[in-house]
Amino acid sequence: MKMGFRFDLLVLAVALLSTPALSDLVLTRVDRRVDLTSHIVRITSTLKVENTGKDSVSEVLLVFPERQAKNLAYLTALSSTGKGKAKTAAVNLPVKNVNSEGMPPALVAYSVSLPEGGLGKGESFTFDVSVVFTHSLQPFPEKITQADTQLLVFEESAYFLSPYAVKVQSLTVKLPHPRVESYTKLENTKIQGSEIKYGPYENLAPFSYSPIVVHFESNQPFVVARELVREIEVSHWGNVQVTENYDLVHGGSQIKGEFSRLDYQARPHIRGAAAFRNLIAKLPPRAHSVYYRDAIGNISTSHLWGDARKTELEIEPRYPMFGGWRTAFTIGYGLPLQDFLFKSGGKRFLNISFGSPISEIIIDTLIVKVVLPEGSRDISVSTPFPVKQWEETKFSHLDVVGRPVVALEKSKVVPEHDQYFQVYYKFNSISMLREPIMLISGFFFLFVACIVYVHADLSISKSSASYLAKVQWEEVQSVIQQVNNLINRCLTVHDKLDASLRDLSRTGDVQACKTARKQADGLLKELSKELKPLLSILQTSPQAVQILPKVEELVVKEKELQDKLMVKHTTVVECYEKKVSGREIENRIASQQNKITALRQEVDDLLDFIDEL
Amino acid sequence: MAPPRAIASPVPDSLYPTLAFLMLAIGLVFTAAFFIHETTSSRRNLSLVKEVTTGAVASVFLGFGSLFLLLSSGVYV
Repeated sequence: MKMGFRFDLLVLAVALLSTPALSDLVLTRVDRRVDLTSHIVRITSTLKVENTGKDSVSEVLLVFPERQAKNLAYLTALSSTGKGKAKTAAVNLPVKNVNSEGMPPALVAYSVSLPEGGLGKGESFTFDVSVVFTHSLQPFPEKITQADTQLLVFEESAYFLSPYAVKVQSLTVKLPHPRVESYTKLENTKIQGSEIKYGPYENLAPFSYSPIVVHFESNQPFVVARELVREIEVSHWGNVQVTENYDLVHGGSQIKGEFSRLDYQARPHIRGAAAFRNLIAKLPPRAHSVYYRDAIGNISTSHLWGDARKTELEIEPRYPMFGGWRTAFTIGYGLPLQDFLFKSGGKRFLNISFGSPISEIIIDTLIVKVVLPEGSRDISVSTPFPVKQWEETKFSHLDVVGRPVVALEKSKVVPEHDQYFQVYYKFNSISMLREPIMLISGFFFLFVACIVYVHADLSISKSSASYLAKVQWEEVQSVIQQVNNLINRCLTVHDKLDASLRDLSRTGDVQACKTARKQADGLLKELSKELKPLLSILQTSPQAVQILPKVEELVVKEKELQDKLMVKHTTVVECYEKKVSGREIENRIASQQNKITALRQEVDDLLDFIDEL
Repeated sequence: MAPPRAIASPVPDSLYPTLAFLMLAIGLVFTAAFFIHETTSSRRNLSLVKEVTTGAVASVFLGFGSLFLLLSSGVYV
């Protein structure tokens, strides 16, 4: 590790000898803060650049040694116009220039575009640069026992490496603990609490470099996901389902020797300070149906609570994570559709966050798969940073051709990448009916199968005695059913007649009663006409021998009932015309009424008997 | 360009269980009517029109009912 370091220095020194002045920019003030409080190294630099030449300059170059640039995960530049807190985020365009003219080969350069107009002669401009590095803290010693604390080495240059001359600069290194094992002592170095200050240094030439090494203690959780696959499935029926598959490793000093569970549980802070036990994930608000499981099954050591702005999920893996240990698990949750899917112009778009919700996690490879409903067309993706993109198909519930999937891949992802990205697509709302129509046609197919089965005649011999007997019996059955129908209709006509009588007693409208009777008469005549052919069929059929007497009896009784009802009806109407009192009427028809009810009972019994056959 | 409008499901989420229950109940009633007609009528009395319509109506209600049943139990198809 140290050898490689020295080699880079040599290359740099050689390269520096052959470097012309790059442009007329001068950095008048550079303040750098290196934040080592987490395993993700964040360097924030405030640069004030001044144009000392004649021409206007439109870009500023930032350089990093190649070894550092390999671990560079996120670079952003913000211009801080306005005083104090009024900062505006500038449109910054760090464009990677690969070895532009005059740049030494061991350096990687990024160019920051200055706002419109560039920097005129004599003008100066201040902006902030934030750089995030992954895997930049080397554990030293590389293997520790369970009881040791983690010590890490961080290498940097005290002088800001830049193609321009720097007038005044300073560097502050912030550590998680006041305990520092060792640090390079240059001139103007002092340590205050958990911060080491280098500087101020004045009037340094371009590409000045002074290596410093800080060896410090840190027991922050080194959460590194070697691979994370996030699948976001959109359903227009109201849900966005996110499933995240993690392959986690503890990225700090590896543990050597044995792990004593007893020691760890008795005194976790002394025997296991470098391990981490739980992870906190901040999910969007209104997340529901959250699950946490792995290949074995559900993991119950988790807590979930939520408020209006976020849902916090705290998960504990099945064992504490020591250096070098790995674990793999899956987290899944559902989100309401209206928070993430929008319609603009003719297209719909999904607006959702890109990174993992777990705090302070480094992801070596992140693959985000967005599964859109079947029937989505014209899919396009817009991300705030470059990603590798390709398309797949996924077969899920009720799918015919499969759902289109857009897969995005990015390496070296840090929490700063957890920004919103959009997926645009076109979808016809009518296509949502495809799913219920599929279910409906499935059920309809079953019904059609039943109909076909009932109608199909599967007998082998069409002239055997049993087949013919069956056919005749079916005919008899159908005739009896029709007779049944007709008798029931006659009975309803009788009921209507009774109802008209009741109306008469209420309203006294004789005329209406008479018309009702005429109607009933007509209907009953029709019905008896229809009954005749059916009866004749029954008489000729040999199968109906047992039924026939009962049916004839039924018909006869019904006729009697009819006649009696008619008689009763006419007497009541006459009585009304003659204005006879109510009790008289009752007396006259009392005997009739008794017979009527008895007959009716018999008719009903016969009907039931026939039904049961 | 108009500000983006949020898209939600055409039927409110909270109604899914109620709709599932109602539609399935009505669908099953029609299924029962269908099978009663099939099994109690003799062969010549079967009316194809009646059978097909009852079957169609039953399958529409059963189809929507099973869709809402799937949605309310968390399988967002």
